[in-house]
Amino acid sequence: MSQAAEWAVEALDLVKVYKEGNILAVDRLNLKIGRGEIYALIGANGSGKTTCINILTGILAPTTGVVKVLGMEMPRDRKTISKYVGVAPQEYSVYHDLTVEQNVRFFGRLYGMSNNELERRMEELLQILRLDERRRSVVANLSGGMRRRVSIACALIHNPQLVFFDEATVGIDPVLRAFFWEYFRSLKKQGLTIILTSHVMDEAEKADRIGLIRAGKLIEEGTPKQLKHKHGADTIEEVFIKLSEGKIVDE
Amino acid sequence: MNNNKQQRRSSRFSFSRTYMVARRILQQIRRDRRTLGMMLMMPTIIMLIFGFSLSGEVKNIPILVDNQDTGYTAHPAPNVEISITAGSKIAAALQNDSRVKYNTGSFDKNRASVDNGTYFAVIKIPANFSETIFQRQRGQNKTAEIQIYIDATKPAIRASIQGALQSALQSIQGGSAFKFNEELAFGGAQYTGLDVGIPSVIGFVLTFLVLLISLITITRETISGTLQRLYATPLTALERLVGYAVALLLLSMMLAGVILGIGILVFGAAVKGNLAVLIFAAVLYALTHVLIAVFLSNFAKNELQAVQMAPLIALPSLALSGMLVPVNSLPEFVQPIARLVPLYYGNRVFEGIMLKGYGLLELAPEFLVIGVIAFLSLILALATVKDRINA
Repeated sequence: MSQAAEWAVEALDLVKVYKEGNILAVDRLNLKIGRGEIYALIGANGSGKTTCINILTGILAPTTGVVKVLGMEMPRDRKTISKYVGVAPQEYSVYHDLTVEQNVRFFGRLYGMSNNELERRMEELLQILRLDERRRSVVANLSGGMRRRVSIACALIHNPQLVFFDEATVGIDPVLRAFFWEYFRSLKKQGLTIILTSHVMDEAEKADRIGLIRAGKLIEEGTPKQLKHKHGADTIEEVFIKLSEGKIVDE
Repeated sequence: MNNNKQQRRSSRFSFSRTYMVARRILQQIRRDRRTLGMMLMMPTIIMLIFGFSLSGEVKNIPILVDNQDTGYTAHPAPNVEISITAGSKIAAALQNDSRVKYNTGSFDKNRASVDNGTYFAVIKIPANFSETIFQRQRGQNKTAEIQIYIDATKPAIRASIQGALQSALQSIQGGSAFKFNEELAFGGAQYTGLDVGIPSVIGFVLTFLVLLISLITITRETISGTLQRLYATPLTALERLVGYAVALLLLSMMLAGVILGIGILVFGAAVKGNLAVLIFAAVLYALTHVLIAVFLSNFAKNELQAVQMAPLIALPSLALSGMLVPVNSLPEFVQPIARLVPLYYGNRVFEGIMLKGYGLLELAPEFLVIGVIAFLSLILALATVKDRINA
């Protein structure tokens, strides 16, 4: 893999039209996300965030457009790329009838980790994510916030260079959310690139850069400061409302 | 007071609430086109297949007749000639009997054809048959003897062949003067109804349960959302499918063990052949259905559809496999379809091993077909498997 690649993610003129219903979900989207950045893709429900993430993780083919992840071409090299990328999907998407450990081990082994490496890394993650006491609990018996953390552990187990959190911090209590952001910061310090989506605007304030997406289009991009300054707003939510021209956006 | 009244009203049976529940369920079903389709298709297919397969009695049973009878002509008085051709009359009657499918050939050379399942019976009418009848009519204490070598592993078929022969004998005079010399194939196999039934039950139960369990297990991945997550890992589609197959094969082996165990230990079903071959057959047969399920799972969007698929395959298989009615007795246009049904070969294998004492060699063609079905299912599964979201 090319370490020299300047961007963690590079998307050129992405278009996605869903065959069923002929829906234009992503509309000529351009995206460049640097290594070590925390990038927040913000938009209303149905604005195309998840479609975007699915394309960037290679599990959905774009109709047209070019995607490069960690300098490699998607979807051509997607199985190679996947070794360096972690994904925590919108739903918890872990095996509810397995224990925390069993889930984490399963994903770790899929990434080809050795036993020693896997156990060490799992120990570390379970500590950080405060799951160590529930490690032998079946996921179905855990709270929503804990399931979310299990999902994140599964996404980080193989020490990825790039990680996608789709709505990872939505619907969790403020204490846990604050903890997540603290954790994201520490991951960033280790050189990890984090791309997350959210429809909660104030989430975005904590990101390095924000992309506002509406009807599959990237309508605004910049640091939180830049955006607020440019639109004379106090919060990102205000920016978003101004850009939406007060229309109810529920694509 | 008012509150009380309201409370009472809301606890009374409400037709409108009930109506809404019923309506909601119908609305949901309407959205689920595949379920709706299956609800219409499944009874149609099952009724048609069962209707056709059960409509007739047992017929077209392949038998072979070796008519060596030379006929007999006697001149009891000058200018009186009595000519008896009893053998040809019996042969002609059998030829016209729809219960059997008449073939000719040498009795001695074709005994092996009963052993290998080509014919259900070979029948010999001896050279002096007509002569013996003549002599008996003349008061001599002689009995005309018909030799039969018959497969007794299917009582209904045996009864039909015997019935056809009895009717054929009515066509000649002196019905009581005959003797059947019936020799049972497979070392004089005499089986109870249970012995005869268990092999097909094993085949059917394996078909149904392996499909059902496999389909449900695989479909669960789709529903839990973990499938999408797996798409984004280095796991390839081939690895995933083979992984499913290995786990399900182990489960199916357990299942086969229980089925064989109950059949043999609890019901004491006969196992004339080698138990190891029987176990091998059960495992191969289960594996085939695991692979069929892996293929079919690509078309099931939820567990409900998966659950519907198992009977959709298993029930027509039951009707077409020869378990209820011999395949030869099915309407002719249905027969080629029956030969595509894995359970048809499964039944032949299980019956062959348990009742006829066949080994790998005798069952090689059946094993080969089952193997080919397994291989094709794997190829089809790989050709249709999704390795990412298809939208």
